[in-house]
Amino acid sequence: MIQHKSSEIPLITLVGPPNSGKTTLFNNLSGSNYKTVNYPGATVEYSLGKLLPKFGLKANLLDSPGIVSLVPNSPDEEVSIKSLFSHPELGTPDIFVITIDASQLSRHLLLVNQIKKCNINFIIALTMSDILNRKNYDVDQVKLGELLDCEVIKVNGRTGNGIPELVIRLNKYLGSNGIKKCNNTKIPKFPAEELIDVFKKNELIESQVIFELNGSKLEPNIERANRQLKILVNQKSKIECYKIDEKTIRIDKLLLHKSWGLLFFLFVMTLTFTSIFWLAEPLIVLVDNIFGFLANQSLKLFGYGWFGDLIANGVISGTGSILVFVPQIIILFLILGTLEDTGYLARGAMLIDKPLSKIGLNGKSFVPMLSGFACAIPALLATRTIPNRRERLLTIFIIPLMSCSARLPVYALLLAFLLPPKNSWLGGFLLAGIYIFSIASSIVIASIVNKLKNRLINTIDNSSFILELPAYRSPKFRVVINNTYISTLTYLKKAGPIILILSLFLWLITTFPNINTKIEAKGLNQEEILRITKTERLSKSYAADLGKILEPVMTPLGMDWRVGISLIASFAAREVFVSSMALIFKVTSDENTLQSSIVTAMRDAKLEGTEDYLFTTSTIIGLIIYFVFAMQCLSTVAVARKESGGWRIPILQILVFSTIAYFLTFIAVNGLRAIGLN
Amino acid sequence: MRSASQLKFGEKVLIKNIDSSHPSSRRILEIGFTPGQEIELMNVSTFNDPLAFSIRGTLIALRRNEADCIEVE
Repeated sequence: MIQHKSSEIPLITLVGPPNSGKTTLFNNLSGSNYKTVNYPGATVEYSLGKLLPKFGLKANLLDSPGIVSLVPNSPDEEVSIKSLFSHPELGTPDIFVITIDASQLSRHLLLVNQIKKCNINFIIALTMSDILNRKNYDVDQVKLGELLDCEVIKVNGRTGNGIPELVIRLNKYLGSNGIKKCNNTKIPKFPAEELIDVFKKNELIESQVIFELNGSKLEPNIERANRQLKILVNQKSKIECYKIDEKTIRIDKLLLHKSWGLLFFLFVMTLTFTSIFWLAEPLIVLVDNIFGFLANQSLKLFGYGWFGDLIANGVISGTGSILVFVPQIIILFLILGTLEDTGYLARGAMLIDKPLSKIGLNGKSFVPMLSGFACAIPALLATRTIPNRRERLLTIFIIPLMSCSARLPVYALLLAFLLPPKNSWLGGFLLAGIYIFSIASSIVIASIVNKLKNRLINTIDNSSFILELPAYRSPKFRVVINNTYISTLTYLKKAGPIILILSLFLWLITTFPNINTKIEAKGLNQEEILRITKTERLSKSYAADLGKILEPVMTPLGMDWRVGISLIASFAAREVFVSSMALIFKVTSDENTLQSSIVTAMRDAKLEGTEDYLFTTSTIIGLIIYFVFAMQCLSTVAVARKESGGWRIPILQILVFSTIAYFLTFIAVNGLRAIGLN
Repeated sequence: MRSASQLKFGEKVLIKNIDSSHPSSRRILEIGFTPGQEIELMNVSTFNDPLAFSIRGTLIALRRNEADCIEVE
């Protein structure tokens, strides 16, 4: 990782309350040239960048999580606040730039008050004064600086006004004669009793620096005169700019409507969810085809020996199985990012909080859970926005039950077996049924785990939902695209290596030790030889040995070791199940599509040593149920360990979900047989 | 004594006190709900919980049990 502790390049950290324009300022200062750093505590990953060269100042710039106060609310928050002052990788920043919303002064000055007592250098960047201007008010930055005894610079994230000036001040601080780095920064105690006085002081400051613009009207305005008089007489009197944006109130009347609000939200989410699938579908096919093509080409290039096979079926297919999820992840984050930037997502969390709190979750659990329908990895990372540790762990716990996109090809294959060909609408109907079933089961499991409370998740925390609902605005697509780019990169970095290593491992155990197979090649063409070689290799491979150990486990489910191998293979990523089935049941995809040829092969497959068909309605339904529950993804296990801070949660997930999966499959298969549905 | 959770739509009242025994009381103060401030109930979620209040020119959503610790006049 990056080491800056003793670096010569100064570190500037942006600090500020949520919705204070911190990230916009970050983008203005650093452009899009940044990487993400893992920010300790309960927050998403944060960006570390460098000041753009045009500013002529060499400095690292860190965007930090939005905080209301330096007093932590939870153990996670405590870690992130401490690392503001002393980041485990980046060290102590040379200077803070505190972003403060000019139209929210009395609230946002609380943080300034606290930081002032911490013995650290800071400059205030006053944002959103354009919003004040629109309401015919302005803020006196010089006066504010005098009252607070620090530098205050007005900046405008949209136009870039004030940013060069901010950099000049920073340069003055950090330049050749630079200020001394503060070595003994510490966070003092801030007693709750003082809060009211601090706010009173801030209100006083606010009333002294906010003034009404006179505009073009010169005639005396009696009402205004009265109001100003009142302000002079009674400092408590509110300033007229303290009105919520009319547009926001009107939109909320509709979107936060008591009866339809939730319905509309669920509608928007269904739309989001279906568009993830519809929009991504052609891209997924494209990625699939590209990697299929590359695999074929490399076989031709490197020959059909073990090396060519390693490149084609190990490396290239492995990489393909990572990248095949990227379209969905990109689309998901584009949509969610847009919704978030408009201000709607915060309202969604409010609307869904009550139902989720019934099963021990939080309104803030919703977005991570929704992301889980694309892929569990970004979903687990997104849980960092849940402040309450218990609710966060419970959210992490049930995310693997969300029907991620890797299950889709598996369901498609299994449904294709169940259904007569050319009946695709019934397939879609059943698929929707599987999704509803998986949502319902995750609700049931979450509420059971919640009931068992401290036995499974060993943390008690004050459950709370306090969320600022920002004013509606049109989304800034540059920011949304940047965030999507970062999230996608994070997914590739977290899940990529694990999936690739596992694919290589699986290639190894399905290919060795019987690498040089001897087959009767007389009268067979190249392709048939290849197919028989593969099947021959597999049947005598380490994986087959492993599969035969599994035989006693598979028999009660009405299946044999060949399905067992595919289930093991799908630990790399669930959709590997499909290619593994293809490999095992001797399928080549020449004329028909891959799927239909597997289905044909599956229909012919017999249970080893018997005349019974291996795949029947009951075993296929059993497999579907298995995939709904089983914790069948090692990357998820790895990320769940990291995000929950230990092995407890991932081990529980493996035990609980695999046991449920196995027993429900057992019940389904044998139950269906008992009622005569073979 | 009325609490903020008992407000009607559009009713503007001043905060009298924040019940400091509530575990969320500190965060509620920090986010701007201090005695003397005017609040108004703006929106209510479908199951009557959480509630959205206007305070100091912004909208803040709170759970009903958290709004309970805000005593109003």
